[in-house]
Amino acid sequence: MEQMAAVDETFAPPGAAWTPVDPTLTKARRITAGLVLLVPLIVGLVLLFISSVPKWIGLAVLAATVIGGAWLWWYIDRRTKAWRYAERDDDLLVLRGIMFKRLVIVPYGRMQLVDLAAGPIDRALGITTLQLHTAAATTDAVIPGLIPEVAAALRDRLAAKGEQRAAGL
Amino acid sequence: MTESRQLHPWSPLIAAAPVFPAALIVLAMAGGGGTYKLGLAGIPLAVVLSVAVMVVALGYRYLAWKKLRFYFDDTGDLRVDSGVLFRNERRLQLSRLQSVDVTQPLLARIVGLATLRVEVAGSSDSRVNLSYLSLVDAQELRKEILDRAAGLHASSSDSGSSQQAPAVSLANEQVLTTVPAGELALSLLLRTSTAALLGLTAFILISAYVSQGVAGLALVPLTGGVPIFLVVVEFMALFGFTVSLAGDGLRLRHGLLQTQASTVPPGRVAAIDVISPLLWRPFAWVRVRVTVAGVQGSDNDQSGTRSILLPVATRTAAAEIIELILPGAGPEEIALDPVRGRAKWRAPLQWRNLGVGYTDDVFVTQRGWLTKHRSIVPHARTQSVRVEQGPTSRLLGLASMHVDVAPGPVRVVAHYRPQGQARLLADEQAHRAGVARSIDHSTHWARHSDPQTSADQESPADE
Repeated sequence: MEQMAAVDETFAPPGAAWTPVDPTLTKARRITAGLVLLVPLIVGLVLLFISSVPKWIGLAVLAATVIGGAWLWWYIDRRTKAWRYAERDDDLLVLRGIMFKRLVIVPYGRMQLVDLAAGPIDRALGITTLQLHTAAATTDAVIPGLIPEVAAALRDRLAAKGEQRAAGL
Repeated sequence: MTESRQLHPWSPLIAAAPVFPAALIVLAMAGGGGTYKLGLAGIPLAVVLSVAVMVVALGYRYLAWKKLRFYFDDTGDLRVDSGVLFRNERRLQLSRLQSVDVTQPLLARIVGLATLRVEVAGSSDSRVNLSYLSLVDAQELRKEILDRAAGLHASSSDSGSSQQAPAVSLANEQVLTTVPAGELALSLLLRTSTAALLGLTAFILISAYVSQGVAGLALVPLTGGVPIFLVVVEFMALFGFTVSLAGDGLRLRHGLLQTQASTVPPGRVAAIDVISPLLWRPFAWVRVRVTVAGVQGSDNDQSGTRSILLPVATRTAAAEIIELILPGAGPEEIALDPVRGRAKWRAPLQWRNLGVGYTDDVFVTQRGWLTKHRSIVPHARTQSVRVEQGPTSRLLGLASMHVDVAPGPVRVVAHYRPQGQARLLADEQAHRAGVARSIDHSTHWARHSDPQTSADQESPADE
């Protein structure tokens, strides 16, 4: 965690107050990962109970699932903690990633659309994802794990700032 | 409102013509078994069936032709009413005109017909193809649309363009440059990928000859044939490439069998890529590609030729053309800051070509090893910026800075800068983008040249 903060410093432009995403995101992503991992888990168990298949194959599948699950458990949490955003006077910053770090800066005047979306798991846990669109398809400004009220307020603020800047044209 | 017009009476025939050979082939294949059983009696049956298919196709096209009318309404916008079963009434708002292009598909070209493609800014539904008009009519209509879009048609009466006011028509063109066929052919052969594959072919042939072995020869059709095929295709598409200066921007024309014409409005250029493959450098040749906002994703873009502004030209000739679109952004005018130190470890091959720079108006990056890309984006067209860092770069304290622009062929990225500098570049560029106002010169173009007409141009736009 210490070293992460250090990288943040080199990556983050000055004058930004960073807001982390809600820790509920970790829970939501872990549930999703758990559901996906059910598949190899069931396959492993079935293999274990089929007598014609050597026992070690089933055990290997189960072991891989457990190891993968443990790694995901840890990784998802770190990923959530690394995801943060900052509203500055003229632009929005989104910072994400552990291995592959990415900082996106979107000037308010370039925003075309702000989307809110939530899947079934996110909805059940009460979080939502905000996505910013510009005229460039490569703009990758996504903020997951926002409390719906926070997300809606952020969206309205962004839209207002965007309109202000666009009106200046 | 002008009187409504129809397409050329031969249109149904030309539009339905491609069905005929297809119908014959399909019937020959599908009906082959049946006709065999029927013996000689099957032959008239096949003939009757294929004739029936043709008649149906022709009949449908005839109705479509009969039902299609176009005219200019009272506000001066182009209306196109069409549809046999479902009526479709289109209104193309000419104040938002994006492009009007005359193209000639092969079959239409033989009989002297042409398609007029009109595109306005907006959704994918904002494009209409008028197929077919006689070439002269298509060119006249194009001129009329351009003039109306720029407000040069003061009255909405159908006075015809010959009685125009003294205003210079926007459709007048001045040829800037034409790419010689020999230069085009040579440049295509010397492109890095083509040259590499042809070199490999030569190597296989020589080693087969020397070793008396034949194992590699099976690859020759692939390594030699594919690049030659691609070169021929591209040569035909780009043959006779002409850039001219027109009222609404740069007009590009090219094509051997099928002539393509398109317009690059200077105000809508989102980014420029100046490409120099290794083997072009002795000739000081470059290729110029552009991303035009709103054009990418449109159809008829075989081999990506629609984004080419200049297939091959000398550096200085290219700079002159670029100067027209982005003044002060020519390939050599902006000094770039090269990478140093650890970046050489990260990019041992391309580090010499890496660089970044900017002026008051544009941001420039350079990358590539064998094929060098110099990408230019105006601050006003910068949509967002990114800083990215993978594990290897992090070990070396490096990061890459990207500029996001409208979808198209140009990628703007400053690779492997020291991470603090990358962050600073991004921050500053975001600021420059926020401050820059996107002035769309394309809609102001006519007003500069003719102030008299500007008054009646303002009024209808916001209704």
